[in-house]
This record gives sequence, C-alpha cells and structure tokens, in this order.
Amino acid sequence: MPVLRLPKFGKPVKYAYITGRVRAMKTKLVPAEMYARMMSMDMSEIARYLEETQYKDEIDALSKDYSGVELIEHATFANMAKTFRKLERVSIDEPSFLILEYLRRWDVWNIKTLLRGKFYGASDTEIVKYFVPAGELSPEYLDELAKKDTIQDIISAFDGTDYASALAQYDGKNLATLENALDKLYYFRMERAVGGTLSVGGGLLLKYVRREIDIRNLITLFRMNKAGVDAAVIQENLIPGGKMHDELARMAGQPFGEFLRGLEGYPFWSSISDIASVDLDAVSRIEARLRAYLIRYAWALSNYHPLSILPVLGYMVSKETEVSNIRKIVRGKEAGLPAELIEEQLVVA
Amino acid sequence: MAIVADAGVLYGLLAVGAGLATGLAGIGAGVGEQGIGAAVVGVVAEEPGFLGKGLFLMLLPETLIIFGLAVSLILMFAWTPFSGIVTP
Repeated sequence: MPVLRLPKFGKPVKYAYITGRVRAMKTKLVPAEMYARMMSMDMSEIARYLEETQYKDEIDALSKDYSGVELIEHATFANMAKTFRKLERVSIDEPSFLILEYLRRWDVWNIKTLLRGKFYGASDTEIVKYFVPAGELSPEYLDELAKKDTIQDIISAFDGTDYASALAQYDGKNLATLENALDKLYYFRMERAVGGTLSVGGGLLLKYVRREIDIRNLITLFRMNKAGVDAAVIQENLIPGGKMHDELARMAGQPFGEFLRGLEGYPFWSSISDIASVDLDAVSRIEARLRAYLIRYAWALSNYHPLSILPVLGYMVSKETEVSNIRKIVRGKEAGLPAELIEEQLVVA
Repeated sequence: MAIVADAGVLYGLLAVGAGLATGLAGIGAGVGEQGIGAAVVGVVAEEPGFLGKGLFLMLLPETLIIFGLAVSLILMFAWTPFSGIVTP
C-alpha cells in the first residue's frame, strides 16, 4: 500500500500547477447551452460540432472505422480516458497519488465491462470498444484480459490483487452481487489508502467522496423504496463509508411518502424538492438532479480550498458528466426518444 | 579613537541592514512567485494565449523588491547618522 510522506511546508504550492491547468481545461468543456442545440442537430452535425472542440483528435482518428452514434461514443470515451491519464501524468507527489486513487473507479468500470461482456457472450473486439483505460490497468493488459475465454479465467487473472476478494463472490448466475462488491471495494480501498495518511489534500478528497457515496446511496434508496424492495435487501446494496450512512440505512424500506418527508431539510433537498413527490414517475430525473448537485458541491468546496485536489476533482466530475450527457443525447436521438425525455436525463450543474 | 571604531561598526551594521532589506524582500517575492509561476505555466500549457497576462501576474510580487531596494538605498546613501562623526 503506497504511503504519503510529504512535508508540511509549501504543500498548497504543489497544487498550483495542476489547478491552474484544470481551470484552463475547464473553459474548454462543452457549455451547458450547447446541449439544447445538440438536441436539434443530427448525428453528423453533432460529430462536426465535436470536431471543433477538444474531441477533434479522437473524432478524426476514429472516423475511418466508425460513423454516427458509434463514432461519437467511442471518441468521447477515448478523449475522456486520454484527458484523465494526462491529469495523472502532469501532476506530481500528492496530487498525482490522489488523482490515481480517484481514477481507480475506471479500473472498476473496465472490470465490470469485461465481466458483463463475457457474461453475455460479446466478442473481445466488442468489449474492448467500451473500455475507458483511465485507471491503473493499462489498455494492453485489458486487451489481453478481453481475449480470455471464460469469466473464471479473468477472475483468476486478478488473483493476489485487491480485486480478488470482490471477484470471488461470483456465483456463476448473476453479476449484480459481484458489481456491488466491486463498488464497495473501490470506496473501501480509497478510505484505506487516503484516510490512513495525514495529508490535508487526502482529507478533502475523502470529504467529497463521502458525499458522493451518500448521493449514490440516496439514488439506490429512491429506486428501491419506489419499487417497494425489502429493507434488508436495500441495506445490503448501500455502500458503507458515507457521512450519512446510518441515517440513510434507517430510511431503507420506508413507504415512499414517509421516505420523502424524511429527506426534507437535508442540503440536497432544495435540488429535488420541486420534482420529488409520491407520484414521481421516473427516478432518473431525481438522479440527474442529484448528480448536478454533486458537481456544484465539488466546485463550491473548491472555492474554499482553491489550491487543493478539489478543483481537479471538480473538473474530473464535470468531464465525466459531459461525456455521459453527450452519450445520452446521441443514444436518445438514435432510439427516437422525445426531446423532453432526453433533456430530463441530462445533468446540468 | 573609540568614537571612530563605533562609527565603523555602525556603518557596517547599516550595510548589513541594507542587505537584509533587499535580500529578504527578494526571498519574499520568490515565495510569492513560486505558486503564481507554477499556476501560470499550468494555464499556458493549455492556453498559450495567456502568456502575456500570466507574466504580468507573475511579476506582481517583484514590486516588493523595489520597496526593499528603496529602503536599502535610503540606508546607504540618503540617511547619514554619522554626518557629525569624524572618520579617520
């Protein structure tokens, strides 16, 4: 387990370069008003627009192999992976350590993609397309794993790593337990790697991550309480480590109306108060609002700590959201969904 | 004789003070500039057009040295507490 040993003096200065850089990178993100305009464009127009932005290199490189939705999807993923890897590459010491710790979520994503792909019998070339090699696992290693024949082969490739304990839960029937275990493992090992140090930056990262866990758990509660799932099952699905974990665990299994009343007064309530009602039709609308709240939270925190990991974190969350918004628009348009429905799913902070 | 020796020591101390005034101001400016410089390089790596503005921001702490330098010059040349003292 890597340990942070950093001098106290001059610590914020270590962040000056990377925060300056991400603040410049933030100005290149797709502005929120463009999403509405993208809704009225067709696929080739969206691709052309993205070619004028930071996605140019990827669109150019991939346009000979793909077109339409596939082109945009792969270009945005490739660009996101490149951008995140760049952040990790151009930072040193504490920022680099913390960025990598955060980016391990993409290792979890890749492992999930790999297992899901194999589970449903996708070919290795299909699986490789959906990798986002932004974490520690290299693209070459992931390609190698994708070529393995069975899920068991992949699981045994992780023997001796931190992932082994979570992967051991695979029962051969469904992936849900395994995926949940991987998510829990990600947060657990972040707490262990970052929380064990006395670094100020690590504390700030954990402060954000705890709020993120709460929001994820809250979304789980919305979904499962709405569906009337049993309290014990819900509690099993909640990720431990959040700041409000005990309070949220108590809300599991409550009738939906009572659950909503219990949420009033929490800091995130104002973001969802106008749409959260007992006759709520789609939880995904709540989810979009809560994710937007999380982005605002990250940037608001970074105003208090301008020379810290938080602006970098804010940028990574914003970038991730941008890519998922673009994908929602193109996938939604391809499926012929009404514009209002797609707009509701977009996360705009 | 004693008066002459004291004047020499005083003049030496004055020179040390003048040196400290400029030197410490320089160190202070350096400490201020390290963060700004790093941040400016970071921004310029993404936005080359920011170089001019960035340089201007980076040079702001340099103005502190001018204060230090002014104090040094005053100590060395303008302020002469020994005008009445006879040197050998």
